[in-house]
Amino acid sequence: MPLLGQLALALALILAIYSIPANLYGVDRGLPDLVASARHAIWAMCAMVTIAMLVLWTGLLRSDFSLEYVASYSSTTLPTIYKITALWGGQQGSLLFWTWLLSIFSAIVAWQNRRRNLEIAPWALAVMAGVAIFFLAMLNFVTRPFALLTNIPAQGTDLNPLLQNYWMAIHPPSLYTGYVSATVPFAFGAAALITRRLDDSWIRTTRRWAIFSWFFLTLGNLFGARWAYEVLGWGGYWAWDPVENAAFMPWLVMTAYLHSVMIQERKDMLKVWNLALIGMAFGLTLFGTFITRSGVISSVHSFTQSGLGPYFLGFLIGIAILYTALLLWRVNDLRTPAEFESYLSREAAFLFNNLVLIGIAFAVFWGTLFPVLSEAVRGVKITVGPPFFNRVVAPLALGLIFLMGAGPLIAWRRTTPRNLIQSFAAPVIFGVAAGLCAFAAGLHRWYALTAFSLAAFVLGTILVEFRRGVSARGHLVAEPPARALVNLVAKNNRRYGGYIIHIGVVFAFIGIVGSSFFKTEVKRSVKSGESFSVGPYDLRYTGLASRETPHVEIVRAKLIVTRDGREVATMSPAKLFYKAAQQPATDVAIRSTPVSDLYVVLAGFDEASATATFQVFLTPLVFWIWLGGFVMALGTVVAMWPNVRERAAIAATVRGRASDDRFAPEAASGGR
Amino acid sequence: MRLASIIAIIALVAGAEINAAAATQRFAKTTRDAVAEGLTCQCGCGLTVANCNHPNCEFAVPVREKIDKLIAQGMDGAQIIGLFRAQYGEKVLSAPTMQGFNLLAWVIPPIAIVLGAMLVIFTVSRWRATPSVDSARGASEPPPADDANPALRRELERRLREGM
Repeated sequence: MPLLGQLALALALILAIYSIPANLYGVDRGLPDLVASARHAIWAMCAMVTIAMLVLWTGLLRSDFSLEYVASYSSTTLPTIYKITALWGGQQGSLLFWTWLLSIFSAIVAWQNRRRNLEIAPWALAVMAGVAIFFLAMLNFVTRPFALLTNIPAQGTDLNPLLQNYWMAIHPPSLYTGYVSATVPFAFGAAALITRRLDDSWIRTTRRWAIFSWFFLTLGNLFGARWAYEVLGWGGYWAWDPVENAAFMPWLVMTAYLHSVMIQERKDMLKVWNLALIGMAFGLTLFGTFITRSGVISSVHSFTQSGLGPYFLGFLIGIAILYTALLLWRVNDLRTPAEFESYLSREAAFLFNNLVLIGIAFAVFWGTLFPVLSEAVRGVKITVGPPFFNRVVAPLALGLIFLMGAGPLIAWRRTTPRNLIQSFAAPVIFGVAAGLCAFAAGLHRWYALTAFSLAAFVLGTILVEFRRGVSARGHLVAEPPARALVNLVAKNNRRYGGYIIHIGVVFAFIGIVGSSFFKTEVKRSVKSGESFSVGPYDLRYTGLASRETPHVEIVRAKLIVTRDGREVATMSPAKLFYKAAQQPATDVAIRSTPVSDLYVVLAGFDEASATATFQVFLTPLVFWIWLGGFVMALGTVVAMWPNVRERAAIAATVRGRASDDRFAPEAASGGR
Repeated sequence: MRLASIIAIIALVAGAEINAAAATQRFAKTTRDAVAEGLTCQCGCGLTVANCNHPNCEFAVPVREKIDKLIAQGMDGAQIIGLFRAQYGEKVLSAPTMQGFNLLAWVIPPIAIVLGAMLVIFTVSRWRATPSVDSARGASEPPPADDANPALRRELERRLREGM
């Protein structure tokens, strides 16, 4: 079996290499059969990488310790679900998983574009194949997932206990999906530059891919935060760790890109900027992988350090140089007559939104790399941790939230001051009222007050936008408000999906501010039957219970939680000891409400004296972060949903292009 | 308005809860917390001494105890952090100092933002200096306003018609 996996990877590499000249020569010489064979090679490459994946999964499920990877990241007692997720628990497996996703996306792009974008798609597929070749070369020659052991152990080393959590089952796949799918808009951007097809067709073709990538980057970051919250046991969810930063930066840049392309689609401006943004987003996905793999920067996430760093760095620098050169080569073709009338315009709001987003991304990048710079320049290793990032990013976040509210209130091209005052009045009143409410409730910290006021201001602008739309629709077609709302969103899904995403961002922002500023922490050692208070709660410890499975020993404490004398919950935090890995872990107990989370950690225990030590956090508004994530996901689905107008526009574009393309007969016969 | 009411209620309840918490025994943002957040744990967790997630951490636990002792001896936060810095080097600090080369860590991001803003303003000024034929005519979309604004209503109705 391992030989089959290795053979599949070797064939995948050969097929990826073949697809590049076949695509490029075929498109250059007008040989549709050759281009079709390149497409088939990409599909075959996808099949080969899938076989390799299945072989490794089979090895993990069968606990085949002749495979070095399985012996290093699994054990016979590891639950089946974690045997499956162990595929991305280690270096070689996660690279294989990345390559598999890339091969799937390449295959989908080849399928989607088999009868359209016939000049640009082969180039885009060649770029994607180039990226795949790098990863396949790593898997074939540098870090081989099917390496065999000569001395086969009876038991594996086991998966890192921190990774034996259900959020780990979905966090890396989500993040990788976000990372890898960013390759598609990047590849089309590069192809547009090479082929000199510099209108916005590459943006329209990959718009849904860009949103798809953003969607999964959002989910990946949120799932990772939730994993940290549940597993690391420190009551927080974000520590500005380099690897967290590496996942956050592409999200910021992709967010900037999704806003900026709207200006290009509407006004044919910012072409260079949009191409630069998608290049940055893709580069940052590689940078994230480089940080995780290289060990250059110490990180709590460095589960899979290896010697891959120099290869990734070389690839990253090579891509950056090539893409920048390409952009500079075409810069004159990308210049278009700009149309900009006023700073009081939606265009200006988008420009400043981009400035702030990229500013935050730069600050995070700078802070992440500064320890390396310090060591190189001064020879002194320093730490750049949460105090730095919080101080630098917090004011920018306020600016971003303000722009998120102000943007929709300002018209394209220009707005008169009078109209601006009219538009801002209701949301500003809403924001000020929320701030006063918070102040009256006892919140006297200026940042939190400003943040909550701005959050309410943004919600106010979105409510106003929805109300206007529903009112206009009700007036026009005499629909009841509920139906008018549904039809409004359905027929303008991109715009209103965006607003729903903004609501989610505001919810998450409220949660971040609440949980960052007002966390309460109590650490107590108590005997069985004793109680202690945390905020409005009384926690009574009733004893320990232990349990043992072949995989893990569990000691669980029981706490009865009461509020105002009424029992509200029973909480059971635990200490775990993983036998194969010989490592302890923590299982926290969380009681979550929209107002606050009660978060209990069993910090230690003494069975002889029946004493247990608990670390308890009372953290306000954390719930809103996860709800915000759900709302963002919902908004993204709404925004991505194809609508009738868009399908008609795509069909018209395809029909229009069919007559221009070299392979017009094929396009005309099957064009959608 | 229902959403607004829910938000107001949650703000009030959260505020009340925070106040209630403040009235009970708790770890306030004391010197101890400030110092513990200013130091990075050296156990490899990557978190600050305040947040290290290892209950029996060989670094964070004794450091927290030592901070308590030094506070009891009358030392202030800066003195305590200075003491740990002298013992473990700069890497024990959770953020760069604001002097010498480290100052770059703090000043470069705001400088970059200011330069970026200047670039945006400069570019936009150039764009505004060469308006297109269309904008020179003064054509523009009607700005948003209240529903009472007939221009807005016409525009919305036009857009809705396009969408149906």
